[in-house]
Amino acid sequence: MEPLLQARGLVKRFGALTAVRGVNLALRPGEVLAFLGKNGAGKTTTVKMLSGLLLPDEGEVRLLGRDPFQDPKALRHLGAVLEGNRNVYWRLTPLENLVYFGVARGLRLKEAQKRALALLEAYGLREKAHTEVRHLSRGMQQKLALLQALIHDPEVLLLDEPTLGLDVETALLVRERIRALAQSGKAILLTTHQLEVAEALADRIAIIHRGEVVLEEEKGALLARFAGDHYVLELEGPVPEGALARLRALGVEGDGPFLFRGDGKALWRVLEALKPLPLKRVAKAEADLLEVFLKVVGHA
Amino acid sequence: MLDLFLAEFWRSLLYLRRYPLELLGAVVTLSLIFYFLFLGARFLAGPGAEFGGRLEAVLVGYLLWTFTLSAYNGLSFGLMEEAQTGTLEQVFLTPYGPIPLFLVRNLAGLLSQGLLVFLIALVLMALTGARLAFAPGVILPCLAVLLGGYGLGFAMGSLALLYKRVEQLLGLSQFLLLFLLQAPGTGPFALLPLAPGAALARRMLAEGAPLDPSALGLAFLNGLAYLGVGLFLFRRAVYRAKRLGLLHGY
Ligand SMILES: Nc1ncnc2c1ncn2[C@@H]1O[C@H](COP(=O)(O)OP(=O)(O)OP(=O)(O)O)[C@@H](O)[C@H]1O
Ligand SMILES: [Mg+2]
Repeated sequence: MEPLLQARGLVKRFGALTAVRGVNLALRPGEVLAFLGKNGAGKTTTVKMLSGLLLPDEGEVRLLGRDPFQDPKALRHLGAVLEGNRNVYWRLTPLENLVYFGVARGLRLKEAQKRALALLEAYGLREKAHTEVRHLSRGMQQKLALLQALIHDPEVLLLDEPTLGLDVETALLVRERIRALAQSGKAILLTTHQLEVAEALADRIAIIHRGEVVLEEEKGALLARFAGDHYVLELEGPVPEGALARLRALGVEGDGPFLFRGDGKALWRVLEALKPLPLKRVAKAEADLLEVFLKVVGHA
Repeated sequence: MLDLFLAEFWRSLLYLRRYPLELLGAVVTLSLIFYFLFLGARFLAGPGAEFGGRLEAVLVGYLLWTFTLSAYNGLSFGLMEEAQTGTLEQVFLTPYGPIPLFLVRNLAGLLSQGLLVFLIALVLMALTGARLAFAPGVILPCLAVLLGGYGLGFAMGSLALLYKRVEQLLGLSQFLLLFLLQAPGTGPFALLPLAPGAALARRMLAEGAPLDPSALGLAFLNGLAYLGVGLFLFRRAVYRAKRLGLLHGY
């Protein structure tokens, strides 16, 4: 299937800092891609380039085949929830916001009214339809921000941290709705720094680190990497070729700390392979798996 | 596009209805400024001084100023507020493109703008005893002034987009606006923004001069030229903001 959204070789620099370096990405209908990365990894910067708000220094974005920077009409097919923003007018009510944004995104007035009411109903905001946004709770505002991105029924959705700040129940509702949206054929990109959010929602996961996509895989394959016990090994000096080959044969990844996935018994085989090199540290990785992973693939 | 206009118009009415005190506050402040100046001038001129037709001319100039003022600073205040309340990016996600959207928004704001000037006119006529005979033809040069005012507004909006906090500059430049509106509309002054239209409107209202087609043509040419310049600068500013990553809240 043709991707609805495609980005090639995106690069963005802010002064001396290169925030995004060569990101490629394709979003197909019915697919959820999770952009997973630590704070400052370049997730928001990428989302803004995809939505035509930030001009890439290199590379290009195609939204249904069109360049959103040249041709704003392409934005008819895009909805976005941007991070850290209210995304809606705080002195208007949810209904007024949705109608306004619906029309500003290209709907007819009547159409916008109909869709606004239906969305408020579906997301449990019907009884707040006439309360000014500034009187709504944070979670309700966040939910409304999502509806604002959905009002014109766009094919592509970009959601920057969509479940941040939501209580458990609302987060679950939002997750469920995102899944349903994907099933109805939308192409969705969401960013998160929580592995579990990506796990719950994504079909594919891309890990971005210091502006680079260091890994992109089907969710199942990626999660398999994190399953079971992980050990981190560090040595005093460099590892000779021969020993390195033996380590790789045992499935050890990384070089500098090494990462090994397997049980305690299998670990001894790894230690055997390292004999008699001086060890500095052997530890079971129990902290944030994303952190461990990044360290080990040599990008930290 | 019509739907967009209706939505913008409806939004401006909602604000007007929900926050009438903001309009009222503006009416009171702007009326008081003029009234105090009027009192001060009368005090200096001594008791029994008569302003004659001068009072009407000055009042017309002042009303034209309040009218142009909202065309001039509406966009900048709007952009600053959007940045502050976190809706700036969403506005730029419109498939109409930001410039058509802001043009439509300006147009939709005309009603509340007109209402403001109308109320100030009523208050000041009651307070100062000035009598304004409103000739409908005067609308035309005012329209030309309005176009120029939007042009300057887009130029200022470019700065607001790039530098965010421009209240100080806006405050200061209001007086420049006052100068432009009071400048003669002939000779080299006709090249200044707003001047030819404002001069024509003043002559018509204060001296009862007829509508001079060539002066009106000049006024529109001037207004359109400055609108063009403003839009050009704003386009550049949008590009720059997208390149430097300035489309965000603070
Ligand atoms: N407008 C800007 N000007 C200068 N630097 C910026 C700008 N926007 C982002 N950056 C920098 O680019 C880098 C990537 O930031 P970005 O917001 O994309 O990270 P992120 O992955 O979204 O992080 P988080 O999880 O904290 O939201 C950071 O170092 C940030 O400071
Ligand atoms: Mg971010």
